[in-house]
Amino acid sequence: MEVLQKQFDDRESLITHVKALAPWAEGERSYIQGGRQKADMKLANIDPIAYACTRNHGDGKITRLSPYIHHGILSLSEVRNHALTKCSEPVQITKFIQELAWRDFWQRILTTHPQWAWEDAEPYKTGFTPQDYADVLPEDIANGKTGVACIDAFIHELTATGYIHNHARMYLASYMVHFRRIKWQIGASWFLQHLLDGDIASNNLSWQWVASTLSHKPYIFNLENVDKYFNKLVDTSPLTNQILHASYETLQAILFPNVRTA
Amino acid sequence: MNAPLVWLHEEALRMTHPVFKVVPERAKAIYVWDDGYFRQANYSLKRLIFIYETLCELPVDIIHGNTLDVIRELAPPALYIPATNNPLIVNIIASIEATVPVKVVEDEDFVVIKKPSEFDRFFQYWNKAKKTAFLHNGGINA
Repeated sequence: MEVLQKQFDDRESLITHVKALAPWAEGERSYIQGGRQKADMKLANIDPIAYACTRNHGDGKITRLSPYIHHGILSLSEVRNHALTKCSEPVQITKFIQELAWRDFWQRILTTHPQWAWEDAEPYKTGFTPQDYADVLPEDIANGKTGVACIDAFIHELTATGYIHNHARMYLASYMVHFRRIKWQIGASWFLQHLLDGDIASNNLSWQWVASTLSHKPYIFNLENVDKYFNKLVDTSPLTNQILHASYETLQAILFPNVRTA
Repeated sequence: MNAPLVWLHEEALRMTHPVFKVVPERAKAIYVWDDGYFRQANYSLKRLIFIYETLCELPVDIIHGNTLDVIRELAPPALYIPATNNPLIVNIIASIEATVPVKVVEDEDFVVIKKPSEFDRFFQYWNKAKKTAFLHNGGINA
């Protein structure tokens, strides 16, 4: 029985060691490092009050704690307890607590319905059947060369760092399922390959939420929305993001032609 | 005689997990670096590095091998495992249960919810969860 080494001179040596253990693994390192020490540093720096009003923006005061929570390095309760020390009234951190609650919610849903990890929880509300969605990940998406500038930027960040903002995850999921008509399972699996916080419950059930197999309607977005939250962080010019440059009404009609609107 | 063992998997990488409160004092903890598991999960290199970096800070042995084979070889009289709903790990636990006595230990609760199965939308859940979500330890005595 081989016991693996745990002492390394530096991060470079550790990475060389892991590469040798898993020569089949794709990609490179992330700048985000594992371990309780890094988790504690990030936890000490959270700003749960500012989080409430900035969290939707690409450069908002998000915590980036999710990789540490997913791996159980930090418990949800521990993070909540720490956040409570950073406010005078708990109501100030409602949005932050709710975000933690979303994770708890998904965990409970998957425990109750384990088959929803990979099976549609409900029918699509898009006017299409599951057979209408593709079963493979297109190469242009895998390589971040879709020709839609903001989407490509999010893909590059995902594959290079293993972390992207929650809004960017929703955009990518919506783009794949609704603009490209790819099965949510394909996208969820691709995210799990890359996300450091890739968690079957949170990830897959969120994909189902976007797809509309676990919600009342499909989640869609347009360029105006990306520009509102990621202006200056990614290229949001209409010329390089043409497919997204439309009103919600127009997109609804283009993407879901079989769905009658009231 | 072999001692009881804690098998830490990738979703419970901390020494404050409740599994360590119920396990006998002499129990050791191990992590199995299982190539088959990682290949099945299809993790990219950055995910593997993150896990390895975390393991290096924990007082656990990282054993290279197939999880089931390692557990069989160690043959602990009892194996303590943090609970998970990850289907891949759930399947491994099911296989282990045929080999050695297993005790699965739940993580600490975030909130207290009575009749937890009565929701499938977030705000149905939140209406129950918010009663304890803002309390230290979720209102649960540590």
